[in-house]
Amino acid sequence: MASITSSYNPREIDNTEDMPGRRAPLITGNQTYTSVTEMVCRVAEDPQPRLWWILFGMASLTASMFLMLIGFLIYKGVGIWGNSSPVFWAWPIVNFVFWVGIGHAGTLISAILFLFRQNWRTSINRAAEAMTIFAVICAGIYPGIHVGRAWLAFWLLPYPSLNLWMWPQFRSPLLWDVFAVGTYASTSLVFWYMGMIPDLATYRDRSKSPLRRFIYGLLCLGWTGSSRHWLVYEKAYTLLAALAAPLVLSVHTVVSFDFAVSQLPGWHTTIFPPYFVAGAIFSGFAMVVTLLVPMRAIYKLENLITLRHLDNMNKIILATGSLVGLAYGTEFFMAWYSQNQYESFTFINRAFGPYWWAYWIMVTCNVISPQLFWFKWMRTNVVAMWVVSIFVNIGMWFERFVITVTSLSRDFLPSSWGYYRPTLFDGLMFFGSFGVFMTLFLLFCRYLPTIAISEVKGVMSASDHSSHLEAEVLAELQGKDPKHAGHAH
Amino acid sequence: MNNNEHNVKSNKEPRPPKACGWMAEFENEHDLLHAAEKVRDAGYTKTDAFTPFPVHGIDHALGIKPTILPFIVLCAGLTGLCTALLMQWWMNGVDYKYIISGKPFGITPASIPVSFELTILFSAFTSVLGMLALNGLPKFSNPVFTNAKFDRATNDRFFLYVDATDKYYNRESVKELLSSVHANSLDEVMEDSTPSELPRSILLGALLIVLAGLIPAAIVLNMRASFSDLPRWHVFFDMDFQPKKKPQQTTTIFKDGRTMRPQVPGTISRGQLDQQDPFYLGYDPMKVTSIDSEKPIYVSTGDSLANVSAVSGAVQPPAGGTPTTGAAPVLPFLEKLPIEANEENIKLGKAKYEIYCSACHGYSGYGDGLVSKRAASLAQDTWTPPSSLHLDRIQKQPVGQIFHTISKGQGKMASYASSITPQERWSIVLYVRALQRSRNANIEDVPVDQRGSLTAPAPSQTK
Repeated sequence: MASITSSYNPREIDNTEDMPGRRAPLITGNQTYTSVTEMVCRVAEDPQPRLWWILFGMASLTASMFLMLIGFLIYKGVGIWGNSSPVFWAWPIVNFVFWVGIGHAGTLISAILFLFRQNWRTSINRAAEAMTIFAVICAGIYPGIHVGRAWLAFWLLPYPSLNLWMWPQFRSPLLWDVFAVGTYASTSLVFWYMGMIPDLATYRDRSKSPLRRFIYGLLCLGWTGSSRHWLVYEKAYTLLAALAAPLVLSVHTVVSFDFAVSQLPGWHTTIFPPYFVAGAIFSGFAMVVTLLVPMRAIYKLENLITLRHLDNMNKIILATGSLVGLAYGTEFFMAWYSQNQYESFTFINRAFGPYWWAYWIMVTCNVISPQLFWFKWMRTNVVAMWVVSIFVNIGMWFERFVITVTSLSRDFLPSSWGYYRPTLFDGLMFFGSFGVFMTLFLLFCRYLPTIAISEVKGVMSASDHSSHLEAEVLAELQGKDPKHAGHAH
Repeated sequence: MNNNEHNVKSNKEPRPPKACGWMAEFENEHDLLHAAEKVRDAGYTKTDAFTPFPVHGIDHALGIKPTILPFIVLCAGLTGLCTALLMQWWMNGVDYKYIISGKPFGITPASIPVSFELTILFSAFTSVLGMLALNGLPKFSNPVFTNAKFDRATNDRFFLYVDATDKYYNRESVKELLSSVHANSLDEVMEDSTPSELPRSILLGALLIVLAGLIPAAIVLNMRASFSDLPRWHVFFDMDFQPKKKPQQTTTIFKDGRTMRPQVPGTISRGQLDQQDPFYLGYDPMKVTSIDSEKPIYVSTGDSLANVSAVSGAVQPPAGGTPTTGAAPVLPFLEKLPIEANEENIKLGKAKYEIYCSACHGYSGYGDGLVSKRAASLAQDTWTPPSSLHLDRIQKQPVGQIFHTISKGQGKMASYASSITPQERWSIVLYVRALQRSRNANIEDVPVDQRGSLTAPAPSQTK
């Protein structure tokens, strides 16, 4: 079965087949160790394509706007936002949860798929981890500036204060959040960095200019590829993966506690931790697809990030999207089954109250749109999957909006009910965070190894002597494309 | 200094670089594994392989022992757990107790999230730092960087290395052994002979950066140890300056220019319901007409009442003074007693009159009380003698005005509102009326059947 896209892109080989008894290769194009190194290093060594400069210009302008808006916010106060009684947790918290959720896919792909020996993770884990770091940076900005007096945000930390003579309150979920997100950000950072050390050494050893060699030499800490080092390194990597996997689950659990530990109907439910974690993985994978589809096209990485990788990710999006849909349904069921009138009101109000539009955008984007991935055609068509991933991103933002705003705007006291309206600053500051995210991601593509070179080679090596069938399957798949038949070497 | 420089430039040292060992290059990991086994079997232990990715089985082929890293990480994880538990117990249970829903202090289920996160945090950082420490990284100077060929160790070539410090090492025999294992090439690794000390310029630059970095800390320390008369810097205004008006300030928002707003007419403050009742006032506040039509007078609160009485006091004649002409009564005083004129009330009024009023006004109300007599004998010109209650002016006053005078005071007379209850004040008014009646009566006022009992003539009457 030739894929739709292979007809116009000779690098696009459909290696997604699932035939019993034979295994399609993970990476295509008869790659050798040399060619894999070449293909990844080229991204940072060649002059960047014009599109990179255009995107970088736009992203860095947007990021600068964001930083200026933060400055204005600190100068003027949080009154420039639409947050007002009774909705004091509005867009800043929605954006925080949105970005933290996105930041879950990277470590999940790295850690959980590593522990489950899912070899297809190797082509996508680096970019996903980078995405995690940048998303968590964006997430961390919002609570920091939402506290009002941002210059006192360090009061969240347990430090021996000479002015306050007191300690943080360790029974508050908001404090747990500080610890969870802080641990997650720093652990993800070292996980990402440690994974990059061997690839940075590759960059160093390929460097032509002394300055480049010096900088990459510093960054890779003098890595030589010694087998004695590799042994400790692999053990450390396995340990980190085993530590990071429960960490991923705990972080969004704690984020959900911010809501679930309160008494507000619509928040006070035990379903929140698994529901939030499923949503986070869902949105994170969607963001990975959103980023990797253009990235592999711009940098011609289709042979490393193949349709099979994308197909697998789309399957996870389908699974987690259905989980999220199940959670929405369960919430309604529990509202009815508990016979709690406040709970019932909250959920009827969510779907049919003043924010009905947000609720149905959420359901359409999160529950209905990923169902298209039941069709293999959708899972292997890059344009179609990119569109669906954008829908999922939109839907997951609206999920956080629905949870936060509909519950707050209709609390126990009808006299204080209100309708939340964002201001221009809310919109610009959410848009601005995408500028920060994209700027960092583009710089990452420009300067750091976008694909875990050593891990891809490790998987190539394993498949090399475990199954010679793969090469045959690959040759057969490549031979199917008449335009490409002569090109296969 | 760039220690990774592989092109060894003109050697400043006279000594030629020392050989560190032999390095054999292989095309793929299978040849490497094969060769490594041979080297191991030959008894060499100071060996290493350099590969672009972790080659499985190389630890066995080279005889590398497992690492102790997992135990180090376990210890770090337990340290993190204990740190978190101790921290939460001490901070919230001992040093600064928070009372939250009456829950016990110290370690509770709510301590789990932070304990979990710190366990992970400590373990994760120990994994990475432990890995670097066990591998002796960062290490920027390494003999394997001296040959440009070895750069492919991170790309697509596999190297096997036998170190010269091995106890069985013999330059020729190792060369022979490695030649026999189908290596692509065989090179002798030379020591890194680039100068190991940093150039002076870099040292100087680093020193300057460190010194410059100390300047802010020095300024802060100086500020903490010294005093200044200048007001503090407001980097952030916090709540020190707020866009608001305080009570005595002016504003352009309101016509009268005052920031403090008077109450809306008719407002009754909490606990001041009695201020609306004529029984407590002596007049009916609802019938008060404005004295000056341009300045409305609010009668709702105690403060406003003070204004009213101040105004009325101004237009009324001072006690003992000559009546001011043209001054009309401004308050709608009660003409009728709000209490019953019975014996009980008269007795109460008499008792209270003799306690509070008689000292100045005298027992009979002629203004000849002991205080008044004493003051007159001292002939102090600051003394204003009390009025006689039998003056025609006072006899004509409505009962409400007498009540008002007792309540608010008049001239030198102080207010008695705090000492005498309203009920008692009205009783005094009743008694004063009885005094006036009795002191200004004639025989017609006496019932006919009682006239016979009046054997003595009535006291001199000065009507």
